[in-house]
Amino acid sequence: MLIGQVRNETNPYEAAWLDGGDAYAKQVGLTQQRLTYGGESTKQQEQIRQVLATGDAACTVLNVLPNGDSDTLPIVKAAQDAGAWVVTQWNKPGDVNVSDYDHWISHLTYNGKESGKQIAEAMFAQMGGKGNIVALQGILDTAAAKDRFAGLKEALAANPGITLLDDQTADFSRDKALAVTKTLLTKHGDKINGIWTANDDMALGALQALDAAGKTGVAVAGIDAVPEAVQAVSDGKMTATVSSDGPWQGAIGLAIGYCAATGQLDVASLSPEKRAFFAKQFLITKDNAADFLTPKADPADFDCANVFNRVVGPIQ
Amino acid sequence: MSEAQIDPRIVLEVRDLSKRYPGVVALDRVSLHVKRHEVIGLAGENGAGKSTLLKALVGLVQPDSGSIEVRGTPVHVQNVADAARHGIGMVFQEQSLVPNISAAENILLGCEGRAVRAGIFRTRTLRRLAQAQLDKIGCTVDPGARTETLTFAERQMVEIAKVLGIEERTSVEPIILLDEPTSVLEPEEVEILFGQIQRLREHASVIFVSHRLDEVMRVSDRVYVLRGGQVAGEVDPSRAVPSQLHELMIGTADTGNHYHEDLQARTPPHRPRIVVDSLSGDGFHDVSIDVRQGEIVAIAGVHGSGREDLCRALFGAGQIISGEVTLDGSSLSLTSPRSAVAAGIGYVPAERKVEGMVPVLSVAQNMTLARTELVCRGPLLDHRREAQLVDAWIERLNIRTPSRNTGLGRLSGGNQQKVVLARWLLGDGLKVLLLDHPTRGLDVGAKSEVYLLMRNLANSGVAILLLADSLEEAIAMSDRVFVMNDGEVVSCVPSPPGAKPEPIEIVREMV
Amino acid sequence: MSVQSMESGTRTKGRPAHARGDLIQDFGPAVALVALVAIFAMVSPQFRTVSNLQNVLDSAAVLAVVTVGITFVLLMGSIDLSATGVMAACALSVSLLVANTRNSLDLGTAGVVLAILMGGAFGLLSGLVFVVLKVPSFMTTLGVAAIGIGVATVLFSGIQPSINDESLLGWASNRVLGFTQMTILAAICVIAGWAIQRYTRLGRYASAIGGGEEVLALSGVRVGPYKVAVFALAGCFYGLAAAMVTSQLGSGIVQAGGDYTFAAITAAVVGGTLLSGGRGGVLHSTVGVLIITVLANGLILIGVSPYVQRGVQGLIVVIAVGAAAWPLRRRMTVVK
Repeated sequence: MLIGQVRNETNPYEAAWLDGGDAYAKQVGLTQQRLTYGGESTKQQEQIRQVLATGDAACTVLNVLPNGDSDTLPIVKAAQDAGAWVVTQWNKPGDVNVSDYDHWISHLTYNGKESGKQIAEAMFAQMGGKGNIVALQGILDTAAAKDRFAGLKEALAANPGITLLDDQTADFSRDKALAVTKTLLTKHGDKINGIWTANDDMALGALQALDAAGKTGVAVAGIDAVPEAVQAVSDGKMTATVSSDGPWQGAIGLAIGYCAATGQLDVASLSPEKRAFFAKQFLITKDNAADFLTPKADPADFDCANVFNRVVGPIQ
Repeated sequence: MSEAQIDPRIVLEVRDLSKRYPGVVALDRVSLHVKRHEVIGLAGENGAGKSTLLKALVGLVQPDSGSIEVRGTPVHVQNVADAARHGIGMVFQEQSLVPNISAAENILLGCEGRAVRAGIFRTRTLRRLAQAQLDKIGCTVDPGARTETLTFAERQMVEIAKVLGIEERTSVEPIILLDEPTSVLEPEEVEILFGQIQRLREHASVIFVSHRLDEVMRVSDRVYVLRGGQVAGEVDPSRAVPSQLHELMIGTADTGNHYHEDLQARTPPHRPRIVVDSLSGDGFHDVSIDVRQGEIVAIAGVHGSGREDLCRALFGAGQIISGEVTLDGSSLSLTSPRSAVAAGIGYVPAERKVEGMVPVLSVAQNMTLARTELVCRGPLLDHRREAQLVDAWIERLNIRTPSRNTGLGRLSGGNQQKVVLARWLLGDGLKVLLLDHPTRGLDVGAKSEVYLLMRNLANSGVAILLLADSLEEAIAMSDRVFVMNDGEVVSCVPSPPGAKPEPIEIVREMV
Repeated sequence: MSVQSMESGTRTKGRPAHARGDLIQDFGPAVALVALVAIFAMVSPQFRTVSNLQNVLDSAAVLAVVTVGITFVLLMGSIDLSATGVMAACALSVSLLVANTRNSLDLGTAGVVLAILMGGAFGLLSGLVFVVLKVPSFMTTLGVAAIGIGVATVLFSGIQPSINDESLLGWASNRVLGFTQMTILAAICVIAGWAIQRYTRLGRYASAIGGGEEVLALSGVRVGPYKVAVFALAGCFYGLAAAMVTSQLGSGIVQAGGDYTFAAITAAVVGGTLLSGGRGGVLHSTVGVLIITVLANGLILIGVSPYVQRGVQGLIVVIAVGAAAWPLRRRMTVVK
């Protein structure tokens, strides 16, 4: 039994995740059960419990996006106790070790610092190595926001020709980014040559503000690779975004689990790097945007021999 | 006793109206009638049925049996709007105006008629219609004023104007029911109201309910006295004497021992209990009084004299700026009520409903409120001890309640006050009792019981400071009367039993 | 026999037309707004430009419309937590009814009108459950919010509809007298809301219900229908706000409602429309909206760190609400 669980399908990234899972399931002649918990931790736990209670746990594979760090352990424990196989993505408490649980095969996430830095560098390149930028941060209290901003800082340190004029927060939200960007444009006017944002939604809001103000030639970058943003990058309106490859994520969790369940993968013998790792992210710029417009997964990626191909390094 | 059935002058006839609630008979075959342009007074103790009768007439309560006839036709009043259609309107005891809209809107509430077209208010028409109602009673209130900015008296008049609106809708002369309209008014305002009632009678009939006998007698053509849900008698005010009314109301002749003066100590007490020296605070300054053990001291004064402020300050509930208070020789620091209670001071506030009792809590809980340590064993409430203590006091004070766990809000005013008083009687530590209008709102029988309680307390050594409802009460109950005027004590008049001063001597100092 | 009876109580007499406490409540927020504007204008040269003024009003537009709607419910003494959910459903509806990328409908203005009516229908539901089933408004509107999100999710069915309708998109970008069409629309809503509150029976009764519902019942007024109507009216405003947000975002998303519920209630209370009912009104609430928007804009322009902005905004809200409740305090009042 293959299970993919995300927050909700209204988020295109998460919808694509589940679609990828479906494709993989088809590949191995099974079907995926799509679960969404609407962002509520209690609901997520309940769904997991229900799923583990019905059906044959030893043949159950869970590919899960925990709602928050604190939700991961209960899910893992439940799966471990039932004898099911689980792969988690994005959220895990720092002090918990995957290797303590032999049914918790892997935890994979993405290096926020790296993505923040990559898009910054792409922007600086487009700006010719000098000029001024402003930054729109995410919800200040989240790890994602903090990591990505740290990446920006690193890039800034390496590029003395670029000055950070201002940094504000738009809470990962599109209409907040619209309002904040308008205000920043009022404040700094033509001095702004680039806008770094911690996610695509905010980038799109910033773009609208630029449009409304009639400003051109400002570089804008975001993260997430939502379809609208990839299109914008392809059209040249946005400089860069980063994809974690949702469909791949939706499939790889199931694949790793499937391989373990069918005995083709020996969990105990996996190196620590494969138990908890950063997966490869893809910087999308104009050059390669076309490839990402219709994200597709390569079935070969999911052969049991290849499942760890995108391991970039262990989680630090 | 009813008049001739076909007397054309009778606008309202009530026959054998009865209403029973579980456990209590509110109305028992009440019959009365009202003639055109008459003012009928309805007197009786609290719980005698006056309010219930009015509510039945206006449709808030459905009688179990009996009939109501308006101008000879039997009617069945279903609700307030229905009553209005028959020409009956009531001015409620608790002011019933919406505070945040204008007087005009209140007057025409629910019957805006031409003042609202297609859902839109036409302000000028509204004002005009409202002004017409106000003119009927010669009221000069601005119809556009927001209701909460009006004085109580002005609001009373707006309510009357509102009730008179019935005339416009029914083309008959209204029958106006006034339920305790004077309870929130100052004396000057009461005079104005009486003037209104005289004007009202020119084109309406009025039923006037009040527990203040002198008012009822003054303003009515005839007075019905209710007792225990029945009509105890019908009285002609021009020929009746208050004691007659008392007798009808409480069923026994008024022996004149209302104030239990026979219990007042012949020799005046002399050992000082609480001494106030040059006390100044919010509302009073440089006050020096004392109350001796076993003494009842009254403070007389008009509105603004500072006596309530002084009383609260002595309980730690008001601000003290300078001066000293000593209790049995030791100086007190009255920073909060808690310090006062700890020192043995009790306080019964004037606003019973709001400050004296917690209506949703039970009799037992209210009674033990100030001295919970008496019924606690460690941090836990000892129910058995509470039950014993509370039951003892219920018995001792003759508090009429279904049980100690009944919500205090369900008891009559007099019994509520007894519970509030009992609060300070629990345990032994009471040294001083501050009473702020303790008998306000109580009927004659309940008042007498409270006076008895006060006498017994005083005779057991408690020092009592009394802010009385009336001068008569102050003089009768106290050993000495201090007079306060404008925040200062201006004189002290002795009031020994058998040699009571005349009210006029005291009034002289008050103004 | 009549004995001189002394003053019989300590209740307050009537107060003059505008007692001090009322003054603070009525004009306090407006004064605060002027003060804020003055301070920011002094400290930041960019604040006092015409284009920034336009920005501020543009960012306030959607919140203003939602707040006008919620004001009526607050005046009545009830509360409405459904704005976010209703906006979600209406946003998705409007984006599927006008020219969009998911279907071939192209209803234009009719689509917007239908979205407004849908908002009204949600409001009607809230009102009916509240009045007929007597479920407290807090719970009723929370439930309706959930229904709204559910409807929106179903309509969304995984594929985001982008708007192609030029005129709807134009609300956010076309300028009239320097302001976006949306801002003008919001101004019209505020004026209309004020007129309804001041001159129509619905508006006056909403306020009266908040001030003394029992009195209305005793005066023979059937209060139920008016309550239902108020909720429906509020819903219509939410529907319009949803169309406005959709215009801003260019597509229909389930998160269209954002956190407008909380923001609108905050704005209303800051402006002087108390949660207890019967006080304040559309104009008061709009002042509150402007205070919040000016604050957000000004804090950025004067360079207050984003980490501190939230704290400052929260502090202002506490001060504003405290000032509004100040005249109601009395010594030894119990505060819950």
